[in-house]
Amino acid sequence: MNNIAHHPASFKDPSGFVFQKNNIFYRQINQTYKDDYDLLMSSGLYDELINKKYLLSHQEINENFTGSAERYKTILPEQLSFISYPYEWCFGQLKDAALLTLSIQKTAIAHGMILKDAAHFNVQFHNGKPVFIDTLSFEKYDSSQPWVAYRQFCECFLFPLYLQRYLRINVQKLMLTYPEGIPASITKELLPWKSNFNLGVGLHVSLQSTIKTGNNSGDYKGEFDQKKMLNLVNNLEESIKGCTIKKHTTTWSTYYDETIISQSYLSEKETIFLKLISLIEFKKVLDIGANDGFFSKVISEKATSVVSVDFDSHCINNLYAYTKKQKASNILPLCIDFSNPTPAIGFNNTERSSFLDRAQFDVLLGLALVHHLAISKNIPLQNIAESFQKIAKTVIVEFISKEDEKVQQLLQHRKDIFSNYNEVEFIKAFSKYFNMISTTNIPGTHRIMYLLSRKEN
Amino acid sequence: MDVNLLYIDPGSGSYLVQMIIAAVLGGMFYIKTIWKRIKLFFSKNKEAPENEHVDE
Repeated sequence: MNNIAHHPASFKDPSGFVFQKNNIFYRQINQTYKDDYDLLMSSGLYDELINKKYLLSHQEINENFTGSAERYKTILPEQLSFISYPYEWCFGQLKDAALLTLSIQKTAIAHGMILKDAAHFNVQFHNGKPVFIDTLSFEKYDSSQPWVAYRQFCECFLFPLYLQRYLRINVQKLMLTYPEGIPASITKELLPWKSNFNLGVGLHVSLQSTIKTGNNSGDYKGEFDQKKMLNLVNNLEESIKGCTIKKHTTTWSTYYDETIISQSYLSEKETIFLKLISLIEFKKVLDIGANDGFFSKVISEKATSVVSVDFDSHCINNLYAYTKKQKASNILPLCIDFSNPTPAIGFNNTERSSFLDRAQFDVLLGLALVHHLAISKNIPLQNIAESFQKIAKTVIVEFISKEDEKVQQLLQHRKDIFSNYNEVEFIKAFSKYFNMISTTNIPGTHRIMYLLSRKEN
Repeated sequence: MDVNLLYIDPGSGSYLVQMIIAAVLGGMFYIKTIWKRIKLFFSKNKEAPENEHVDE
């Protein structure tokens, strides 16, 4: 007998499943998927996808860890440093993941295979790039059949991109509500009238929402061919490439460029920050309220990986564009609101884990953050400290006192009910969970940088 | 919600959609090809085209 359980998100496909042993992820391939797996490996498709860095590489393992009689092979995929979900991605990330999926589809067709599953959950960000992780999503291509995953692709990728393009809204919350993709009917209702002038919207959204599943028997054998398939995939590719959003600014996306008190503040803060990070050893960093990623970029020089989160998806989109351009491949920007982090969703509430369940880091950065949580969101300092200590053993946090102009702005239009928001209470709250390693005033400001180390029980 | 939707293979409706899209895209490709030929025909009459090997 064995006690190895499937990964909670890995139960839909009988071809195999993911499991964890000694904190390492493996994938079992079942006998039912034997022919397709062998074709993937022998057709040259796997090698080409690996060469192009489209697919997560793996090696075959001899041991049968699960003891299952259905097992054909066990593979050990390259391990990912952090799992993110599509509803945490910015526009640019979703777009790149969509284009990757289509490129894989075209490569697969050229090798006599096709994607049977085109869900956005099959893509992860690894070393700064989207990579397809589901080795079991390929099957033998029958050119007489249309693409079985076409609608799934549209609902997971194309429709959210259209909604973001036309409505200029953050589509992440909507994607969280529809984890299997935003249906055509909902997309159609939400898109503005002018979107009808777009050929892609007409073909993929309007047509699908009109025809739905109807009472069609679905027997169209022999009427489709490879040329039609490639036309379809190319059209999807063009539609997605044509999907752009204006690079517009929010209060936060120019925070450091314009609204900060002075440039000298930033350089003073950077000097202190560099000194603090020279005192500690770390690999994995979480930067909360990362904004344009200034400090993520600084610490990424020394870290193995940095996850930079901010609730402002435009900031994250800009940061993602930067990481792509500068090849800052160890920074993963994500749209996450720390005052309302991603919940666990799906079957049993375990299919997709919450952000805090995934958030285990060596260092947590909370720079120019605490006043927003404490004053804008009314979160007591002790609750903030308690949350931080669950995430990382080392914390670099900035406390901004009430005299600061930014805090004054937050208090401008509301009653000051925050008598406990001061340095003494801050130290008291954080001392419950952390030892104070270093305290540094940022010269000329009402801001203090703390280096904290978690008290281990 | 249409109750029928719950009992129908989710792929089936999208097959018909893909048929129609493929037909539309195929038609557009055909029109584009004809349009290119017309343009080429007139540009040949006016002056020598910049690229002789555009078509065929």
